Amino acid sequence: MNLSMRDAFLDELYNIAREDRRVILISNDFGAPSLDKFREDCASQFIHIGIAEQNMVNVATGLALAGKIVYMYSIAPFLPLRCYEQLRVHLAFKRYHITGVVVGAGYSYDLSGPTHHALEDIAVMNALPGMTILNASDSVMGAAFARMTYENPGPKYVRFDREIFPPIYNGQKDAFSDGLTILKKGHDLTIIATGIMVHQAFKVADELARHSIDAGIIDLYRIKPLNKELLLSTIPESRRILTMEENFINGGIGSIISALVADRGENIKLRRFGVPDEYFSQGGGREQLHLLCGLDVASITKTTLSWLGGK
Amino acid sequence: MTITKTDELQKKARRVRQEVLEMCVRAGEGRVASAFSCTEILVALFYGGILRFDTNNLQWEGRDRFIMSKSPGTVGLYPILSDLGFFPEIELEKFCQCDGILGPYGDNIPGIEAVWGSLGHGLGVGAGLALAAKMDKKKYVTVVLLGDGECYEGSIWEAAMFAGHHELNNLVGIIDRNWICTIDFTENALKLNPLESKWQSFGWDVITIDGHSFDEIFAAFKGFRTRKSHKPLMIIASTVKGKGISFLENNPMGHVIIPSREQLEKAREELGN
Repeated sequence: MNLSMRDAFLDELYNIAREDRRVILISNDFGAPSLDKFREDCASQFIHIGIAEQNMVNVATGLALAGKIVYMYSIAPFLPLRCYEQLRVHLAFKRYHITGVVVGAGYSYDLSGPTHHALEDIAVMNALPGMTILNASDSVMGAAFARMTYENPGPKYVRFDREIFPPIYNGQKDAFSDGLTILKKGHDLTIIATGIMVHQAFKVADELARHSIDAGIIDLYRIKPLNKELLLSTIPESRRILTMEENFINGGIGSIISALVADRGENIKLRRFGVPDEYFSQGGGREQLHLLCGLDVASITKTTLSWLGGK
Repeated sequence: MTITKTDELQKKARRVRQEVLEMCVRAGEGRVASAFSCTEILVALFYGGILRFDTNNLQWEGRDRFIMSKSPGTVGLYPILSDLGFFPEIELEKFCQCDGILGPYGDNIPGIEAVWGSLGHGLGVGAGLALAAKMDKKKYVTVVLLGDGECYEGSIWEAAMFAGHHELNNLVGIIDRNWICTIDFTENALKLNPLESKWQSFGWDVITIDGHSFDEIFAAFKGFRTRKSHKPLMIIASTVKGKGISFLENNPMGHVIIPSREQLEKAREELGN
């Protein structure tokens, strides 16, 4: 059975917590079927903090100071934004072994409107020195992130989608230590995508192939620290990059990679796809929102073809 | 080295105020008035045998965890920590200098747990430390010094609710109730009173004392390691902001005042020898 990324993560964290009593999971009144098992069997390692994100980070800090390995579990918009100053002081500045785990990346909570859309989190977390930002594209990665965050000290922000997506990494032994995976090589351009947009990237690449355009696909699952050398080494001779993300275009991976290209003086043409500088309240679901943002397969393909038309 | 005689504790308090004054004037930085309202509290905690610590082993597991959540008063802690041997006394002279370790807010300073500078964090962090002690059956007590202005922060009340719910009777809070925040009296700006009943309603035991009386501070801490009550303890210590220097005392703008060279002589005189 294919699990959600979140359930895969929590199942693996359950296994870890059963073996290491130092592992503590704090929830701000946010649940999951896979969390019920943890709450029951590891009751002394589970804390319901109430709907109180500032206190969640502060209590996590006290626990970490006492030697605990702490996970804070929340719906995506509220952990990074409601308690940003606490994250800045205790996670980024002091770098305790605390991991923020959020569910609801991007437009996951599509119908709930802008209060529940998580579109700024990559930008604000990227602004914090010392943070590791992980953005999962499937459940295999979700499970691996539990082990990675447990074994590597320091602050981390782990971002999961709410929906279930088909596995990308099924059956593969990947430690996910490189920060990115080359899923497909392509001569004409490289699509660098993160999170669920990796799935969209495959569809776009298929469409482009119908127009005889050979697009490579990179899954950028670790946004910070960025594996700069590996990333630059994946750019084909055509020197074209297309970035795809379901968060605000300002400060997302497109911005981050643009800065890298500029800093290195690389002669690379780059096109960014993400959520424009605007909040959308429209109902109808995620596909509707993608149409508004130009993040649907047809729009991305069309824009890309006209961009390549000038090559 | 535990001091129990009131007159000797008062001498220590005077020395702390004198040092703080000189440090802040020299550096042109530091919150003198904020440090002066909690001087007796800090002296009682560290010299009076309330807190357990080992200056030969700063990371000793059994040490009490003291959190200076009222971060502007941190400068008042430095003369005490150096006197007790947490770090060399020469550091006081290098306050805010590039070759010193001491800044207006404590970070990476021997004797200071974690980092303080942002208000509203310390009680929640203290609650986490206290909860960890319960989980691991450790005997240390966590003591958090809060400012009254700090109690405007919503995160304080999130932590208050949490500590009350979890019956963290190994957690002691002290509010330095000096009645003044940065630019006004608290009751003019935004009423904090009734403060006692607020804490009681969040599940805390509350004791109100004169925060400049050593007798009352010690009485409030009597038996605090073996309290029968399941509730966390909040000590509301009524104090005078800027205590000891007439032009700082109860001055609603005193928070940011660092005496000028001219004022220095008067301040020195008032603090005595």
